Amino acid sequence: MLEALTYILIIAILGLNALVSIYGIIYGRSLVKKLISLTILSDTVLVAVIFAGFYYAYPIVPPVYQDLAGTGREFLVKHASDPLPQALVLTGIVIGLAVNALIAFGIIQAYRLAKTTDARKVVETLSGVEVTE
Amino acid sequence: MRRITELAVILSLVLGVSVLLVLAASILLPGIEVRQLAFFYLYTTINPWFQNYTVNSPEAVTAIVWDYRGLDTLFETSVFYLALIAGLALARGLFSETPQGSFNEKTHGLTTIVKTVTRVTAPMIIAVGASIGLHGHLTPGGGFQGGATIAVIPLVFIVVYSTLFLIARGVTSNKMLVLRSIGLLGIGFTSIAAFLIGLAIGRFAYVFQNMPKPGAVVGLPADINGALISGTLWFFNLFEMIAVAAGFTIAFIILLLAGRGGSGGR
Repeated sequence: MLEALTYILIIAILGLNALVSIYGIIYGRSLVKKLISLTILSDTVLVAVIFAGFYYAYPIVPPVYQDLAGTGREFLVKHASDPLPQALVLTGIVIGLAVNALIAFGIIQAYRLAKTTDARKVVETLSGVEVTE
Repeated sequence: MRRITELAVILSLVLGVSVLLVLAASILLPGIEVRQLAFFYLYTTINPWFQNYTVNSPEAVTAIVWDYRGLDTLFETSVFYLALIAGLALARGLFSETPQGSFNEKTHGLTTIVKTVTRVTAPMIIAVGASIGLHGHLTPGGGFQGGATIAVIPLVFIVVYSTLFLIARGVTSNKMLVLRSIGLLGIGFTSIAAFLIGLAIGRFAYVFQNMPKPGAVVGLPADINGALISGTLWFFNLFEMIAVAAGFTIAFIILLLAGRGGSGGR
């Protein structure tokens, strides 16, 4: 019962995080704030994936053998957290970083051309079309 | 009208996330059938009795990243590389604004205290990063984490000394791009190392093969003189560390040059 409650609490916190970051992506005026919200959203998703690999068996141990002979194999197999989500999250972090770096370069370029990071003003300056509400 | 639209959007977001939460709470609780996959990886990552499946690495995450799902990681590294190339293309106008002149210890950078502390800690940070990267097949860590740790050094040096100091020491974005390409080429060659050995001795071998498999007896050695290298994992970690450290350095140089506008990165 307590485990289920812990799960639901963590999921609720992750959902709140996702909500705040989606709100920031949609309503943030500055492109930089939109980027920050996007990183929060991607980190939330990554935490959720790590959490899916979490296995409730006390005591929980990392998926690493302590020696090369593989002693304690049965204990580790029963108690270690799932290594697959961790590996996928590692991949996800690198790709997220690449995408964020690319977006940051784009924002810098937009700032250099338009002298502002306000999304509407950037569009107005670069396209010459006035943005209406 | 705008108020009502905003309210509708926020309300639908809240409702959508609530539905997701309810669904997630029933799905995210890991069941026993999900655990079977973890059993396989945990059981075979270092196991002398399953020679056809084992990677000979005590660290299951690195084994998955570079052996079980190695192709994913190759393309992930390529995505990072392409993003940096695109960043360089976007920032091409910046390099005409690269600060000119030579580095002067007296006028550039922060105070002597900060500079001395940076000089003392820099080799330590590099040692820690190399340790994280090259022990990736033994302990938590790996090429990406080690490279990211090493990349702290150029960032600290840009802030504490100046961009001119890095340029005077030969750390330019072009040279880092060459280093990054060397790292990626090394990863590519490591992935076909067993295949090339197989071609040379006339035996069948797979691309991305690490340990000998049934039908493809060519494989890389698990250890050299008793020091475990887990076949290709050590080389993958080494080249990934070089590639990531150089890639981060490029990103920092571009971002910090751009952050100074046209004033010259002092």
